[in-house]
Amino acid sequence: MRCYIIARCVSVLAVITLTEVSLAGCSGNAPSSTTGGSVVKIGSDLPVSGGDASDGVPTANGVKLAVIDANKRKLIPGYTVVASVVDDAVNGVHNPSQGAKNIQAFASDSAVLGVIGPFNSNVAKAEIPLSNSLGIALVSPANTNPDLTKGSLAQQLRTTNPNEITYFRVCTTDDIQGPAGADYAVQVVKLKRAYVLDDNETYGKGVADQWAAQFQKDGGTVLGHDHITKGQQDFHALLTRAASLSPDVVFYGGTTSTGGGLVRKQMADAGIGNIAYFGADGVRNEQFLTDAGNAANGSYATVATVNAAKIPAAQAFLKEYQAQFNQPVGSYSANGYVAAMTIIEAVASAMKDAGGTFPTRAQVLDQLRSGKVHHSIIGNFSFDKNGDTTNKIISIYGVRSGGWVFLSQKNYAR
Amino acid sequence: MSMMKRLLPIACGVFLLLVPLIDKNSSHISAYADTGGLVLLAFGLNIIVGYTGLLALGFAAFFAIGAYTYGFLASPLLGIHINFWPMLLVSAAVAAVFGLVLGAPTLRLRGDYLAIVTLGFGEIVPQVLQNLKWTGGPDGIAAIDQPRLFSYAFGFNPVPYYYLYLAIIAIALLLLNNLRYSRIGRSWMAIREDELAASHMGINTTGAKLAAFSMGAALAGVAGVLFAAKLSTVSPSGFDFNMSVMILAALVLGGMGNLTGVLTGAVIIGLLNFLILPQATNWMQAFGQLVHSNALANVDLNQYRFLLYGMILVLVMLFRPEGLIPSAVRRAELHAEQDIAIPEAAH
Amino acid sequence: MPDLHQFAQQLINGIALGGVYALIALGYTMVYGIIELINFAHGDVYTLGSYFSLSILALIPLSKYTQGWELWVIAIAVILLAALLCGIVGVLIERLAYRRLRNAPRLAPLITAIGVSLILENIMQIWKGTSEVSFPQFLPDHVHVLGGVGFHDRAVLVVAVSLIAMTALNMLVFRTKLGTAMRATAQDRDAAQLMGININATIAWTFFIGAALAGVAGFISGIYYGTTFFLNGYQAGLKAFTAAVLGGIGNITGAMLGGFLIGIVEAMTSQYISDQWTSVVVFSILILILVFRPSGLLGEQVPEKA
Repeated sequence: MRCYIIARCVSVLAVITLTEVSLAGCSGNAPSSTTGGSVVKIGSDLPVSGGDASDGVPTANGVKLAVIDANKRKLIPGYTVVASVVDDAVNGVHNPSQGAKNIQAFASDSAVLGVIGPFNSNVAKAEIPLSNSLGIALVSPANTNPDLTKGSLAQQLRTTNPNEITYFRVCTTDDIQGPAGADYAVQVVKLKRAYVLDDNETYGKGVADQWAAQFQKDGGTVLGHDHITKGQQDFHALLTRAASLSPDVVFYGGTTSTGGGLVRKQMADAGIGNIAYFGADGVRNEQFLTDAGNAANGSYATVATVNAAKIPAAQAFLKEYQAQFNQPVGSYSANGYVAAMTIIEAVASAMKDAGGTFPTRAQVLDQLRSGKVHHSIIGNFSFDKNGDTTNKIISIYGVRSGGWVFLSQKNYAR
Repeated sequence: MSMMKRLLPIACGVFLLLVPLIDKNSSHISAYADTGGLVLLAFGLNIIVGYTGLLALGFAAFFAIGAYTYGFLASPLLGIHINFWPMLLVSAAVAAVFGLVLGAPTLRLRGDYLAIVTLGFGEIVPQVLQNLKWTGGPDGIAAIDQPRLFSYAFGFNPVPYYYLYLAIIAIALLLLNNLRYSRIGRSWMAIREDELAASHMGINTTGAKLAAFSMGAALAGVAGVLFAAKLSTVSPSGFDFNMSVMILAALVLGGMGNLTGVLTGAVIIGLLNFLILPQATNWMQAFGQLVHSNALANVDLNQYRFLLYGMILVLVMLFRPEGLIPSAVRRAELHAEQDIAIPEAAH
Repeated sequence: MPDLHQFAQQLINGIALGGVYALIALGYTMVYGIIELINFAHGDVYTLGSYFSLSILALIPLSKYTQGWELWVIAIAVILLAALLCGIVGVLIERLAYRRLRNAPRLAPLITAIGVSLILENIMQIWKGTSEVSFPQFLPDHVHVLGGVGFHDRAVLVVAVSLIAMTALNMLVFRTKLGTAMRATAQDRDAAQLMGININATIAWTFFIGAALAGVAGFISGIYYGTTFFLNGYQAGLKAFTAAVLGGIGNITGAMLGGFLIGIVEAMTSQYISDQWTSVVVFSILILILVFRPSGLLGEQVPEKA
């Protein structure tokens, strides 16, 4: 009797698995795994659906544009470059497990020589150990949490090979972005009393902590530091509490998808609609303007990268982007482009050194680790020994007349 | 004929063992392993919902507790590194304790109130894990130790995890099958059918219900350890209501209270979720690029995931509440108005 | 005293927040009272209300109307239309998903309700996307200050609509024939049927009214916050259910009271503890009430065995 149950279970399980394996087996030969064909694939793992899509999609578009350019200019002779863009958002929110799965999927596709992404720092925490273990290059256009590359926490992430770097980023980090914003707030906008909020996520909490610490160092007062709940829509009580302390600026550490714009909008209801609002790159997007509506003016945000519009080399990129995608660039489109280009160029160099044969991922990684200078549309930079970029420019934007306007940028390279 | 019946399961078992050799794609193996995790979770929920008839909606909380327990005791967070293998039991025990903690005050609640209380618990646990600093906060716990068998390190290779899941599922099948026909199993089913009558027949309903909660939670705890080890990181996202719904859908689709059914349902939902929907999206997108259709090239079938689960829940409940692979007893219970005579050799 | 002033200010915030919960809770409590089903999809009907309102408003050239009274007329028209549409959705859900399972073990309709909730959420996700959606705040809105405490017209609107809804509902349930039929069905379905009451129609009307109220809540919330989001219903629904239970499930005044109380609890938690613990506190209250006093504040003793 009992054997019968187990037998039935096993049979059913096997039948189903058999069906799925055949299905999967078929698909396995479709777009993916073409070993040593004339295709070089660049993977892209970004949140292209959900609340983060307003950041993820423009960045992915930057990657796609780089691939188009690479093919146009035949950067990898004899091979077509293909961008394989996947989503790490589940049900509208970026998801670390999904990101990890995506990396594994890329790793099992032998045509993929490097991956761009992720966008969110907590997804990176799940992906870096994998990229380290599987030996595949991961270049992020937008992760700003310093613990991903620096310090003992970063080393812990490199579980399999602690001394090998496989993760790089082309944007600089929150330990520079946060303080840069605070400096601007105190020195330029002359703000003195801040109430700090964050969305209780890796990125938001990190950048808020950094901003608050520097604000105090610069002579300002941090009146309070509070965290919001996931999915929160009503910030009235929170902002009323903040208002009672008479701040002249509210700092929001987090992304628009966790409520950045809503906070700005509801500040008016709490009586502090006229004071400044400061955020970081997570709110410097179009969705913030939509969410904040009429209250958006008077908001500031830092972005952990240079303003592409100010660089002559980037003009062609901006024109091409508009023509190809018919929408304005996002904060990190140029970074997506540059990140993809670093991988493409690394592949090209590795191929040249290997005498024209299809390079291995290890060879591509060696190229990335070589510390050579990249001449890119966001300026010249190289990856340091931690995988961070030497380009430590932070740009500041403000909302004027309902739109984001570039205010200034500063190079923090020491 | 009976020779075939004996050979078939053996052949299938052998087949399952050979899957990683047939399908070399490691992301597929990873998906199969994750499906195995869903199977274990469904087994656990089955004890509470399927056998005992208590609708527990926040089941993912026990999954989280199991995963985080392992994370605390086997990572650089506290500097403690207990070995994976004993942790399977330790996490199961911790989750079981929480099962008792949730079960005890809810014993006298009737069905829907119990559902809401467990739902509330399922909302509170991930939020607490995210708020507290010593649970790692929103970052969760990273760099969790991965299993080693003698001198073989599992690492990030999904293949050993796949076999480990197979082994644990096999053990769970044996255990649960025995439980089903044991005294406590029959108590559970009596409670499910009519709790008042069961208690009047001398069954210790309190003890049985507590046992159901703790055993179900324990299985979820084991699934949690495996999940945390395989991914080497845990974070509060992924243990929310959506996860609980997925487990419930697996149970409902396959046939609650019936191991074969639960297994089937979990495998279907798991493969759908981890393999088919993402693949189908890739196919449609590639096809879209081929025919230059912008709409198809940008389609994302993953968006419809919960539409699919929702429809499964509604349609199954309306037309075949006993699930795809029902037991005769269950079918009789659910179609009470049709007065089916229950055959003796029911299971 | 600044402390009392702050407390009063937060009280206003809590009451406004609670007003929305109260409107949603009314629907929960009505449906539960009559067929003992926790209509999981009810929260999503609330969001649907704001979505319907948006679509209706998109058809109206709002900029052409500047007079206060014109805008109020529009608002009332939109509310009624959105409520009607939501009511129809409510009736459809009952007819398609719940009616067959009226005599099934209680697990079944609860699971179906969860399924319906998922389906509605997904429909809304496809309809207006996964980001916040702007809601035109077209009604005249001024700040008033009373004793040092400021509040907006919008907040007053929320509270006013909730109270009107509660009063209207009470009148319906206790003074009309339909209301009597509802109460009879809630008390003993078979006896009611024997007395000649059309059970199906009564239950359908109950769903209609509950859903319509949720639709009104959707519009009001859109006006109050200026945005809506496809997952709002899930969170709001859970908290509104907590409110219904706190007040005493099946009791209309209780639902209203519970709604305001939960809103106040959230505001006070945010002020005196920290914003990040608000949902933990609310759900803990839910668990504690269900375990220690399932009849809630105003309800009758709930029988323990199914």
